[in-house]
Amino acid sequence: MKHRGKGIGCMWYPIGFTVLANPSAATVKINEDGTATLLTGTVETGQGSLTVLGQIAAEALGVSTDDVHVVSGDTDTTPMDTGAIASRTTYVSGNAIKLAAENARQILFEVAAPMLDVRPDQLEAVDRKIQVKYFPQRCLPIADVALQAQFVMGRPPIGSASYNPPTVGMDPETGQGKPFSTYVYATQCAEIEVDDETGEVEVIYMSAAHDCGTAINPMLVEGQIEGGISMGIGYALQEEMLFDDDGKQINPNLTNYIMPTSLDMPKIDVDIVENFDPTGPFGAKGVGEPTAVPTAAAICNAIHDAVGVRITSLPATAEKVLKAIKELRDGGEQKALPAAE
Amino acid sequence: MADDVKTKEKTESLESLRKADDNLRLPTVPERTLFPKEIGIAPAREQTPAVGQRATRPDGRMHGLGQTKYIDDMFFPGMLHAKIKRACISHAKIKSIDVSEAEKMPGVMATLIGKEIPVNSFGPSYQDQPLLADDIVRHAGDGVAAVAAVTEQQALDALEKIKIVYEELTPVYDPMEAMKDDAVKIHNGESNVYSSKTIIKGDVEQGFKDSDFIFEKTFTTQMVEHVPMEPHASIAEWDANGRVTLHTSLGRITLGRADVSRTLDLPINRIRMIATVVGGNFGGKNEITTEPILALLSKKTGRPVKCVFTREDEFISSTTRHPFVMEYKTGMSKEGKIMARKVRLVCDGGAYCSWSETTLGKACILSAGPYNIDNLHVDAYAVYTNKTMTGAMRGFGAPQVCFAYESHMDDMAKELGIEPLEIRFMNAFNEGSTSPTGQLLEAVVVTDSLKMASERFGWKEWQK
Repeated sequence: MKHRGKGIGCMWYPIGFTVLANPSAATVKINEDGTATLLTGTVETGQGSLTVLGQIAAEALGVSTDDVHVVSGDTDTTPMDTGAIASRTTYVSGNAIKLAAENARQILFEVAAPMLDVRPDQLEAVDRKIQVKYFPQRCLPIADVALQAQFVMGRPPIGSASYNPPTVGMDPETGQGKPFSTYVYATQCAEIEVDDETGEVEVIYMSAAHDCGTAINPMLVEGQIEGGISMGIGYALQEEMLFDDDGKQINPNLTNYIMPTSLDMPKIDVDIVENFDPTGPFGAKGVGEPTAVPTAAAICNAIHDAVGVRITSLPATAEKVLKAIKELRDGGEQKALPAAE
Repeated sequence: MADDVKTKEKTESLESLRKADDNLRLPTVPERTLFPKEIGIAPAREQTPAVGQRATRPDGRMHGLGQTKYIDDMFFPGMLHAKIKRACISHAKIKSIDVSEAEKMPGVMATLIGKEIPVNSFGPSYQDQPLLADDIVRHAGDGVAAVAAVTEQQALDALEKIKIVYEELTPVYDPMEAMKDDAVKIHNGESNVYSSKTIIKGDVEQGFKDSDFIFEKTFTTQMVEHVPMEPHASIAEWDANGRVTLHTSLGRITLGRADVSRTLDLPINRIRMIATVVGGNFGGKNEITTEPILALLSKKTGRPVKCVFTREDEFISSTTRHPFVMEYKTGMSKEGKIMARKVRLVCDGGAYCSWSETTLGKACILSAGPYNIDNLHVDAYAVYTNKTMTGAMRGFGAPQVCFAYESHMDDMAKELGIEPLEIRFMNAFNEGSTSPTGQLLEAVVVTDSLKMASERFGWKEWQK
């Protein structure tokens, strides 16, 4: 017989390295037609980070995402970056990029100020224009200002900057300190079905509500969350590297190391929790790693809700779940499950 | 009729040729793709303000048309292919390595062993890992020698001819066993525990005394692989000026370059690292693997050298996610408030430290969960074992402890007769809460996320 259950998993996760410096630097070059090039030392690893970083530069310059071309991942040409690790790209690299773009923009403001008959600090960059704050009628196309800067004033609008999250070292005895600049929070809920004759668990539905500060690109946030859940499902139910008595792996291949495929994926509803972190670029934090964190907890709590067994050792394979169900029926009290060999 | 047979034969021979090409990893000419004359740009990419737009990715079109160049798609004139010989023994002393027979094999241009590497050690926290084991093998996936040959198959064949004499050492696989004083020491130190962390907040013993109920449970997790679609891959090209260019699938090239500089004893400005579009990282591509080996093989041969891991290489020799043993003890008031928590974490660090030190630290801080706990004591240990090394993987210890603290939470809720959602609302961090390390938290939305996810799920109305 199949039993349904619901479970919840809640988590918190930090952005960036624990205490240690993990800086990013960036350079933004505004071209003479008002488009721009961003140089970043981070690497696109499939998550869409370069798109997000381009959006941050574009926002600071008042242009569109497509107006910014992103150059990345070459130590000869791009500035230092700690890299695609620790869910830090949007927050740390993003902050560096925002500062670099603001430095480049400042040159445009200084060039545009006499053209518009105001002070540079009265200007803002919005919708591909350099305009006077609270008097947007007085404006110039960003392209005109960029051209003026480069070819008349001889000041190519280029800006560089770096950012490192502020931390406080941890006390070696008590661990007290400020190891991270900021954290994100999330909850996932799972609906699952357990077959009590086979022990098999099927994930039917998941809802996920993740905080990432401002979602720079909601579509890519959703993609991260769905990807993280698929990884979490594998972690909860299937994936496990196994070793023989001589310490050699017995399943180093995708035939015997079972991972979720598209057929294993449940329906997923994603919500982005509204939040704004004043220390992040335009209020953004990060979302990469946290998406894979609470899934296994939610699924195992749902198994408990469905059939009353507590899985204490991941993954909750059909064998383990079935054994636990039998123990529960036989003895009433569930014995602790040994770790899988 | 006769023509038909000829055509058929011709097709078959072409197919077998193509298969041969595949096996040899020779360049195959991609099919001609006609690009659209007008490039349509998604409106979201052209709108301002840019932040908040559901902008499509510029690399999406390249992926969709099969035009993205991963390392395996890149070829340079005269390029060689490298393969790494794995120890296939989990703990042993290397008595001798003889590569002379391998060097005589057809197509073989060079071999490399650990002793030829200027500084044969690396690692983000401690430099305890050799690029190629030269003295002691500490896990079965350790590389012991490398071969560069004209084709991958020739390199593979040559690996078979490398003769290595081992003296077996006693292995230890279980982290709890490895922690004991009398356990075999994997890195010759006084203990296999190579990192420990403590967090103390409030008075945990007093907290337990003030509690109405005490709950205890031990949780364990398994070792898993990142399984990126693209395995680790690199190409090294040593040029006449003594400068090396590395095309690599690393996710952090600035620090990777520093590691290469250290291992090759080469100034940083003589190393160029170019990251391609990485086909999945998830933490597994955060440190160098074969890059210095390929650089030296390229230096020896004067040719570019490529190495693409097989799926098996990826499993047995790259980093993985730590198995944890997590002992939780929590004191609760009868109303459902967490009064005190004591946690002991043991993380199976595998043969080398890699990112274990960092993982342990994060797990330690996060192990209490997103909950207000005034009295907390966490002890955490990372332990060497003779297994594949564990390192950075999406979550850095958080998926492990989240599984434990959230399972534990539900067990306690059930015993106390409190609804699982309710007990979380009662204990969750709020704006201005203090973290286990004493940090004041801001922009805290734990309860908002609980509310949103449960409402979307239909938690309250849900029935079996």
